Amino acid sequence: MKKYLTFTVKAFQRTLTYRFELWMELVINVLFMLVYVYLWKALYTGQTSVEGYDLNKILTYIVVSQTLLTFTFTLRVARIIEEKVRTGEVVTDLMKPVDFQLMILATAAGTSSHTALFNMLPKFLLFYGAFGLSLPLSLFSLFLFIISVVLGYVILFSIEFIIGIFAFWLVEIRGIYFLVIWGLSMLFSGYFLPLEFYPAFLAKVAAVLPFRAIIYLPTAIYTGQLIGKGLVTALLIQLIWVVILVGIGRLAYRVAFRKLVIQGG
Amino acid sequence: MPIITVEHLSKHFKVPKRRTGFWESLSSTVSRQHDIIRAVDDVNFSLDRGELVGYIGANGAGKSTTIKMLTGILVPSSGHIDVMGLTPYRQRKENTRRIGVVFGQRTQLWWDLPVIDSFELLKQIYEIPQNLYKQNLEFFSEMLQLQPFLSTPVRRLSLGQRMRCDLTAALLHNPEILYLDEPTIGLDVVAKEQVRQFLRQVNAERQVTVILTTHDLNDVEKVCQRLIIIDSGKIIYDGGIDALKKRYGKTRMLIVDLAQAYSEVQLEGVDLTRRDGNRIWLAFDRDTISASEVIAQLTARYEIQDLTISEPEIEEIVRRIYEMGVQ
Repeated sequence: MKKYLTFTVKAFQRTLTYRFELWMELVINVLFMLVYVYLWKALYTGQTSVEGYDLNKILTYIVVSQTLLTFTFTLRVARIIEEKVRTGEVVTDLMKPVDFQLMILATAAGTSSHTALFNMLPKFLLFYGAFGLSLPLSLFSLFLFIISVVLGYVILFSIEFIIGIFAFWLVEIRGIYFLVIWGLSMLFSGYFLPLEFYPAFLAKVAAVLPFRAIIYLPTAIYTGQLIGKGLVTALLIQLIWVVILVGIGRLAYRVAFRKLVIQGG
Repeated sequence: MPIITVEHLSKHFKVPKRRTGFWESLSSTVSRQHDIIRAVDDVNFSLDRGELVGYIGANGAGKSTTIKMLTGILVPSSGHIDVMGLTPYRQRKENTRRIGVVFGQRTQLWWDLPVIDSFELLKQIYEIPQNLYKQNLEFFSEMLQLQPFLSTPVRRLSLGQRMRCDLTAALLHNPEILYLDEPTIGLDVVAKEQVRQFLRQVNAERQVTVILTTHDLNDVEKVCQRLIIIDSGKIIYDGGIDALKKRYGKTRMLIVDLAQAYSEVQLEGVDLTRRDGNRIWLAFDRDTISASEVIAQLTARYEIQDLTISEPEIEEIVRRIYEMGVQ
């Protein structure tokens, strides 16, 4: 296990080399979030509460979900795998005594820890201070929120991993990537607005897909929308998706590897 | 007891037939016809522990395919491979723990990190004990003079420096076999010599079995004791380097730019092998005629603008073996 931790640490260090890029990313993120926050402020003029969300709660929801969305657009796992396959670097990986999926996850976790610490956290604190947002109900809810964020992260990772594995068959995976990550995930993850605001049939679709486990569930735990039994169910749903998607990823990788070794790179 | 045994090894690839033209390419999206390429075709050899073998052949001869099967990332179509008692593609991870691999065209180091960080990562990946790691790192940094750039990010290294680091990276975990795929490609003369000397030393002092593919005949001459030549997937020569050197190593090629297009070029003791406008290629045996004699003959009869002497190339030798065989 220790060797995978080293991947995480090295990936974290490597990210430090691209400070300028990260600052630019942060500035753009903040601008977008400002637009969203003011949009919702405007929508709420004359309203006190919509679907159980008052202004403070909706702003908290928007800022937390927008912050979590950062993982979605900074995680480049599908593209990393595609590039490894295209350049043949995957061969070098296979010549090492490591598990491919765990190695990619450990590396991504390193990059993402950096993102969480130097992009997401400051961004969130800035908005928290500027707009007087709420905190979770208790320290314990904060703890459960963090667990939920990690589970959501692994789900996002697993989906990207599966997409990346398609690169073993397809020359170009950008199509699937955009469909799943920028299409389905954007629509059903709940980053745009709380899923309670969705029309009934869309909410039903969202409920059976894994995407809401990436952003909506952790955010709803943060805002206190999910408490008690609902919260436990949410965490269980996330855990089940983790098992299913990691499993599919392993299976897909095994099939792809067999294809590679039988047909040649 | 050989460390590597390869028996009747074959690897066939199915590749879709390329068709040109609009209707043909349209129909090929529906039904595809395939060609079978025999990348490796009934290959047999065995290597003893501590051997230093050159595995050579033209591009596409089947070198890399063989190496990939030996390292366990390709499954043979048929035949049998035994590497240190393992079947590489079935016991890939166990096999990778005991081998080192260097690709001249590719690095296994982390591009953005200092060299030493990649080494530390490898220490974890291969679970190298601390004292062995320290000992090996000291040994290799001294031998390859890595000290000045150990904390430089890999992307800022020169090709020669990078190759020295890659060699170290492949050997930190004390592998029993070292596979090198064109390790000297793109290096300057000094760096090439350094790599060659290093390989000889590692082989002699650490008893590492080395298999080396290359396009540079000097690599083979200066490093290898044994040579396996593969062409179109078949082994056409397997034996000592001396027999081959004696026969073909002495041929030199003189490339001459003549001042004008002479209708006929005639010289004694020299073969005119190619002609392209004013440029001619002359092959000669340096034992029967010296380069200066050839040049003297030339300048006496023709007006020349420029000339270069080149060593024979692998492709040339392979072609000759094909035509004449090796005694």
